[in-house]
Amino acid sequence: MGRRLAGTRWLAAALGAALVLAGCGGGDEAAGGKVTLRFTWWGSDGRHTITQKVIDAFEAEHPNIEIKGEYGDWTGYWDKLSTQVAANDAPDIIQMDEQYIREYAGRGALLDLAKYDVNLDGFDASVAKAGEFDGGLYGVVNGVNAPVVLANPQLFQKAGVKLPDDKTWTWDDYTRIATELTAKSAKGVWGSQSFGSDPAALKIWLRQRGADLYTADGKLGFSAEQLAEFFDQVKQLRDAKAIPTAELIEENAGATVNQSGSATGKYAMGFWNSNQLAQVSEAAGQEFKLLRFPSLTGKPKDAQEYYKASQFWSASARTKHPEEVGQFIDFLANSDKAAQLLLSERGTQPNKKLREATASKLSPTDQVINRFISDLAPDLGAPTPPVPVGLGGAGFPLGESTGEVLFGRLSSLDAARKLIDEANNNME
Amino acid sequence: MAYTRRNAKAGYLFLAPWLIGLVVITIGPMLASLYLSFTDYNLIQAPQWIGLANFTEMLHDEKLHNSLKVTFVYVAVSVPLQLVVALATALLLDRGMRGLAFYRSIFYLPSLLGSSVAIAVLWKQIFGTAGLVNQLLELVGIEGPGWVSNPDTALGTIILLHVWTFGSPMIIFLAGLRQIPRTYYEAAQVDGAGKVRQFFSITLPLLSSIVFFNLILQLIGAFQSFTQAFIVSGGSGGPAGSTTFFTLYLYQEGFGKFDMGYASAMAWLLMIIIGLFTAINFLGAKYWVFHEN
Repeated sequence: MGRRLAGTRWLAAALGAALVLAGCGGGDEAAGGKVTLRFTWWGSDGRHTITQKVIDAFEAEHPNIEIKGEYGDWTGYWDKLSTQVAANDAPDIIQMDEQYIREYAGRGALLDLAKYDVNLDGFDASVAKAGEFDGGLYGVVNGVNAPVVLANPQLFQKAGVKLPDDKTWTWDDYTRIATELTAKSAKGVWGSQSFGSDPAALKIWLRQRGADLYTADGKLGFSAEQLAEFFDQVKQLRDAKAIPTAELIEENAGATVNQSGSATGKYAMGFWNSNQLAQVSEAAGQEFKLLRFPSLTGKPKDAQEYYKASQFWSASARTKHPEEVGQFIDFLANSDKAAQLLLSERGTQPNKKLREATASKLSPTDQVINRFISDLAPDLGAPTPPVPVGLGGAGFPLGESTGEVLFGRLSSLDAARKLIDEANNNME
Repeated sequence: MAYTRRNAKAGYLFLAPWLIGLVVITIGPMLASLYLSFTDYNLIQAPQWIGLANFTEMLHDEKLHNSLKVTFVYVAVSVPLQLVVALATALLLDRGMRGLAFYRSIFYLPSLLGSSVAIAVLWKQIFGTAGLVNQLLELVGIEGPGWVSNPDTALGTIILLHVWTFGSPMIIFLAGLRQIPRTYYEAAQVDGAGKVRQFFSITLPLLSSIVFFNLILQLIGAFQSFTQAFIVSGGSGGPAGSTTFFTLYLYQEGFGKFDMGYASAMAWLLMIIIGLFTAINFLGAKYWVFHEN
């Protein structure tokens, strides 16, 4: 009897030990009452260095708060984040994208920052509002940018093609220039990157035809016929060799900024956001040229460009230290120290006072970006509604549908209908 | 008596890590997923009971049908091919050549590496448009396609990757071959049977239980393949859905679209499919698996 009991006790002890071991490693509270916050972002190496400096500056002012950076590349960022949120292990402060902000906020994953002392008085009203919806403030805009075409002047020159006047160029000009560039360039160099998997390009393309990607009440803002026309245009460009083959498009789909066709000198024109001019130029080792999107008519206003919140600072709804999170986000948004470090790496400063305070410190490239953003103001189209819940990323598989058209697996109209069905299904 | 009790104690102790693991990380999550498969659950808000809705949705989900097709093609081609290569290599190595241990290790190595992320990345580069395969083809004047990025060939490269990891069934075959008494072959030789005849009349029947074991094991593994397709396609299952394995689609639904209820239902469908295939194999086995006793 005694032996059996001893045996049971042994087992219990072993079980207990295992459970205790399994339970360890959960707490994030460091010794000495110091609060540790995790902060995640995506970006290039340059951004990681800058962001770490901002963290150091904040920690120097707040010795009781420690910020741990978790950074990586855009590819994989969202897989990782959704897995962390699922595991109840979300970072406290999250760099957020307009594609996903409603996705996360709509499911209750983001903190309502309005309750935690984040001051947005210095922001343009329309910019401050970008992170405000469904009765809360779920993200603080950290930069303003616009979708652009980045042109590689060296490749233009080598091919003997003139850079276009981007205020008056039309889609016909674009097609002609891209086709000519491919024809006159070395093998492996293409006139243009495909825009077939880029929702921002589709958005502008639709806006120029009186539609939009989404409506204000969260529905799709275009018809199957309009989307089919978009696919047809991509197919035409492919047939003219203005853009690469479907295979190359597929291979390049997950490329980082540094590996992208623009940075590696394979695309004379590529589709980016304005603030990425600096990254792409740096990776390529030469200065790129910012171009507005072509229009149908050649009138600057008809290009239907728009200001995009380049990113947001958001926070996890499950953070244990919302006050400290608020302090850090306020520091990122309003502190002169942070602004002097961040400059416009993440997009043009949304805080007007800081924008002026940092203007003289900007690199020539960043000054070009800021001027581009300012010049765009009188020619902007209407503001564009946010991405509805369910359609962030995988919910709107544009690249996959374009692939099916380019590989000849579906007709343009069938692919368009299928994508619309799927998107509607994902929104429910 | 005391001796056996002490043995039992030690037994429980040694069993404990596995038992705890079974309960905490297998049975618990399985029951949770069974419950979740009847709910609408987005990871953050509480799950809502919706009965069989997830399962009825599967009937109309074209992407799911496509992912089933991709997975079945993958299983049906890669598993038999891998077993044939494994058996052929095992027969070759069974001849007792010099440096056998070295070859055994070399052939086994891919099995250890094959499902790793690193190898999948390597594969993507080898079979890329400017990859090693096309560079070799270029030497003989052929311009190869982008193997991993063409919907006609992408699945083929992943099948090849699976076949390449033939080492683990090969080792098991090798052990099985060693069990067959040499005297059988000597007798057959005296009777004038050639190598081919010997293989089909002695080796294969006596090895059939090993073949069966490998078949079941590889079948279950192949149905659950994920890493290779995930890495080679960059998580998209592309090009044009040609490598959207069932598990990859499950992952996209669960972690890409936050539809954990549907993903759980899919996991149970996969379990039912694997169970069904295993059962069919066991039923069929009595017609071809040879037991000596």
